[in-house]
Amino acid sequence: MNSAEIKAILTDWRVATLIILVILSLVAIGPHIDEKGNLATNLQYGLDLQQGAWIQLELRAEVVGFTTDEPVQEFVTKLSNSLDADVELIDANHIEIRKYYTQAELEQKFAEAGGKLTSYQQGVSKDTGSHVKTILETKINSLGTKDAKVNTLAGLNNVVRYIRVELAGVDMAEAQEIVGKQGKFEIRIQTTGNQTEHVLFGDVITSVQRPQKDLQTNSWGVEFTLSEAGAQAFQDAAIRYGATEDPDNHYLAMILDNKTVYSAPLSSNLASSLKTTSTRRMVASTGTGNAGSDQATSLEIHLRAGALPVDVAVAGSGSTSAPLGERYKMMCILAGIFALITVGCVIYYRYREPGIVLPMVLINASEVLILLGFIAAIKFQMDLPTIAGLIAVLGTGIDQLVIITDEILHEGKVPSPNLYLKRLARALGIIVAAAATVVIAMVPLALMDLSTLKGFAIITILGVLVGVIITRPAYGRIIMQILSK
Amino acid sequence: MGLINYNIEKYSPKQLVVIPLVLLVLSLLFIGFNMMSTGMPVTPGLDFSGGTAVTIRTTDTQDDLRAVFAGYPLTEISDMNDAKFLKFGTMDDAQSKSLVTLVGQKYPDASISQISETFGKSLQYQAFIALIFSFIGMAIVVFLSFRTFVPSVAVVLSAFADIVMTAAAMNLVGITLTLGTTAALLMLIGYSVDSDILLTNRVLKRQGKLQEKLAGAFHTGIVMTSTTFAAITALFIVSWIGSIQILMEISAVLLIGLLFDVINTWLTNAAILKWYVQKGGVR
Repeated sequence: MNSAEIKAILTDWRVATLIILVILSLVAIGPHIDEKGNLATNLQYGLDLQQGAWIQLELRAEVVGFTTDEPVQEFVTKLSNSLDADVELIDANHIEIRKYYTQAELEQKFAEAGGKLTSYQQGVSKDTGSHVKTILETKINSLGTKDAKVNTLAGLNNVVRYIRVELAGVDMAEAQEIVGKQGKFEIRIQTTGNQTEHVLFGDVITSVQRPQKDLQTNSWGVEFTLSEAGAQAFQDAAIRYGATEDPDNHYLAMILDNKTVYSAPLSSNLASSLKTTSTRRMVASTGTGNAGSDQATSLEIHLRAGALPVDVAVAGSGSTSAPLGERYKMMCILAGIFALITVGCVIYYRYREPGIVLPMVLINASEVLILLGFIAAIKFQMDLPTIAGLIAVLGTGIDQLVIITDEILHEGKVPSPNLYLKRLARALGIIVAAAATVVIAMVPLALMDLSTLKGFAIITILGVLVGVIITRPAYGRIIMQILSK
Repeated sequence: MGLINYNIEKYSPKQLVVIPLVLLVLSLLFIGFNMMSTGMPVTPGLDFSGGTAVTIRTTDTQDDLRAVFAGYPLTEISDMNDAKFLKFGTMDDAQSKSLVTLVGQKYPDASISQISETFGKSLQYQAFIALIFSFIGMAIVVFLSFRTFVPSVAVVLSAFADIVMTAAAMNLVGITLTLGTTAALLMLIGYSVDSDILLTNRVLKRQGKLQEKLAGAFHTGIVMTSTTFAAITALFIVSWIGSIQILMEISAVLLIGLLFDVINTWLTNAAILKWYVQKGGVR
């Protein structure tokens, strides 16, 4: 091949696209020497390739459909009382019950309350799901764990049944402690100057509502309920330290793990009513606008002391130790290289022509490289199934190059450009059909929340697409040049 | 590849399908039997049945390990190269936490995973749905790309036979159904259709003698299968050396499936196509 021919290949848009993508991928992967002198890349690894632990929590609640002849709000209140659970209206005919009940139990309770159960699914609404996620994230961050991921796993019906917490760099026991840990919540009252006295601990708070906006004052607030004893203690303290007489000099402070998270005086209404009666329901208001709303959201989490609005059960967990992760990583790199070499040997055995084998193997390698680049660019976490997917892509990729080569070499003749294009088109026809089946076969996995398999499916689909759109056409162009020599 | 000569001229389509048909019937019987005894076509592994698995790299013998975990419902210990895989039955929260602590003290480098029974059930259900949808999706693509009934059915049938035979073989060699092996079965749907599409395309859309077209397709197809086989063998060997159970299971299932694919593509599918062409289904 002379330099003019090489130039012709390199400037062909199909080949040029491939080369540009390979370069971009190398940049994205960014191999470099890290501060410890080891070779490092921008690739991120899942918890089976690096040290860490994951815990999957099952939310013990139900989303149910219902019909009733009674006013909806009344029905919901009635249910909430008879079930002794928080019941939230999601839309006109769905409610969320934040306590575990079987379908049969609920059917009976619904009938008693004058309604009918029409559907039953374990889990919570998307809103509640993301709320639980925020609580967990806040809690984990406040404990200073840096590399944490919390994901809700919603089914196709928008009901969140599972939440997965991934913590890099910790072992199983630590992870369980972090997720299970509750903060220490306390309300204190200002006596004189900066002095404060203890009023109550978080254990007397029986329920906490979602932040609400007061329609008269436009101010955001979080309503919470105290137990009888808690309400009594609150009233006693307010009277004893003079907050009922002079609220502005006796602020109430809410403290979580020794940090003040809220501080405000009693409202004048509450101050005067506390003089005579104790009150169980109170609203901590946080002001107007976005700032007020944000503060209300975090205050709610603090009031719960990191406790979740629904009960959870551990549905699954796993951990990988640092040496095991390192070892797996090494093995995967080895597997990739080894796979590429064996594939190269088989191809060589078949064609015996370096001019064909070399471009094939290089195209194959470039495909994996582009995929890795993409994985690095979108910060996708590589795990073991993803590696299997990558090697599978290597296998199918070379298959399709074989189809192209054989189709073009049909009857051993080097075709004229016209015939060549016809044959290439036919080969691409076979490839597109085969690729479409692989993609379709993987789509259900990519859409479902089968935890670890999602990544595998997405990578396989991406690999097939990269192959059909980018590397196959480029290979067709290169092999034509080589064969017409 | 020059070593294998593919000549099915002297056999009638009926003779060709005998072997795969017998295999398919045996596999279906085998799976059916397994279904009756365990309720699942392939014995479910940890991911679907629930339980706790611990992977330890240690020189301790199985008896040593049994002694260490005497207080826990240890159901199985298996060796793979230099690693030991321990499986435990269901435990309550407290017991499972104490197991985690014990493992952490005795074998700090171990990896632990635990799946509750209900979560396993829900995974199992979803995996089943995924498998069904994948298969239906694949069948639709095949029908759309050929638009003729018999050849499309032949492709779908051989893919089905691949999955069924592989599932039966998994029971035979003791590979359980996990998330990983489910993925491998799904991947097989894609792989097996590859060579079927090539075969059908060559036979229906090319000019020439039937036998030549079949031989030509085989020539290409067997190279395709051997390259894939080579890549997966590499994965299998490395995962065996590195004792990475999930990768070893995935690659083992793929290897078994690829072998059955050779039978189903070049006997079953080829036979049906031959019958179809000879009957005059193609101009």
